[in-house]
Amino acid sequence: MKYFEDVQVGDVMRFGRYEVTREEIVEYARQFDPQPFHLDEETARASMFGGLIASGWHTGAMFIRMVVEHMTPGHATSGAMGFDDLKWIRPVRPGDVLSVESEIREKIESRSRPDRGTVKIESRISNQRGEVVMSLVSLVIYLRR
Amino acid sequence: MRYWEDMRVGETADLGSCAITEAEILAFARKYDPQPFHTDLEAARRSIYGGLIASGWHTCALMMRLSVDAARRDEAATTGSPGLDSCRWLKPVRPGDVLSARTEVLETWPSRTKPIGFVRRRSEMVNQQGEVVLRVIGITMYRRRPAAAA
Repeated sequence: MKYFEDVQVGDVMRFGRYEVTREEIVEYARQFDPQPFHLDEETARASMFGGLIASGWHTGAMFIRMVVEHMTPGHATSGAMGFDDLKWIRPVRPGDVLSVESEIREKIESRSRPDRGTVKIESRISNQRGEVVMSLVSLVIYLRR
Repeated sequence: MRYWEDMRVGETADLGSCAITEAEILAFARKYDPQPFHTDLEAARRSIYGGLIASGWHTCALMMRLSVDAARRDEAATTGSPGLDSCRWLKPVRPGDVLSARTEVLETWPSRTKPIGFVRRRSEMVNQQGEVVLRVIGITMYRRRPAAAA
């Protein structure tokens, strides 16, 4: 188990494989982001995106699924305070296969809570062509040894 | 229709409210964020959160839904977002909470290359105790007012 003390600035992790389906794009959008270019192929084709695309928040949800499945099991994390500098760089479309590359950027000790610290982790989510579709810097809570 | 030209710095709006149930918290978390404090009541009690809490990504999704519904009521000419400056999950969101969203325009600037403009806004979700649980500073794209209608 990797605690706050064990992660080092510069460490890189590559993980995840998420197949994006049309059904899931529409299902997420119906519930949380019912804009036409996330819901309907015909309308989406006429939009500036030229076809159905996933909600950016859906890409975020798929990212956290990959993190929780592949990264947090070996790390003593306990949630996150949030994130900075999230960029939706390219559309995510049905049939895309997403994966994550994460790099430890900074470690911040908690002044008020000696049992934990915050780790800034920059993540890039890429599609099957290696194009980065989304990036962000997460503020992850790590427990100390 | 409200275009980019109609956005004013300092303008605020209430975006409506929604309740969040234990079943919704569990369903979202099992699909996207299966950490024990989001999916397992007993494990959540033992965690640093002392009970079941919603995924932060779920709270963001609910704010997005309130924003989309408000933009539709307002006939806002929004056309997606390039990203966010920051997002902070300030307080846990728990089953039964009622969350209200509000937003304020911080800055506007036009695109130099496309017939759109950008709006930077601070949006917050507040629970029934008046505590801010989520604060996001993000950028929204709006279409420009067509010349003929100006």
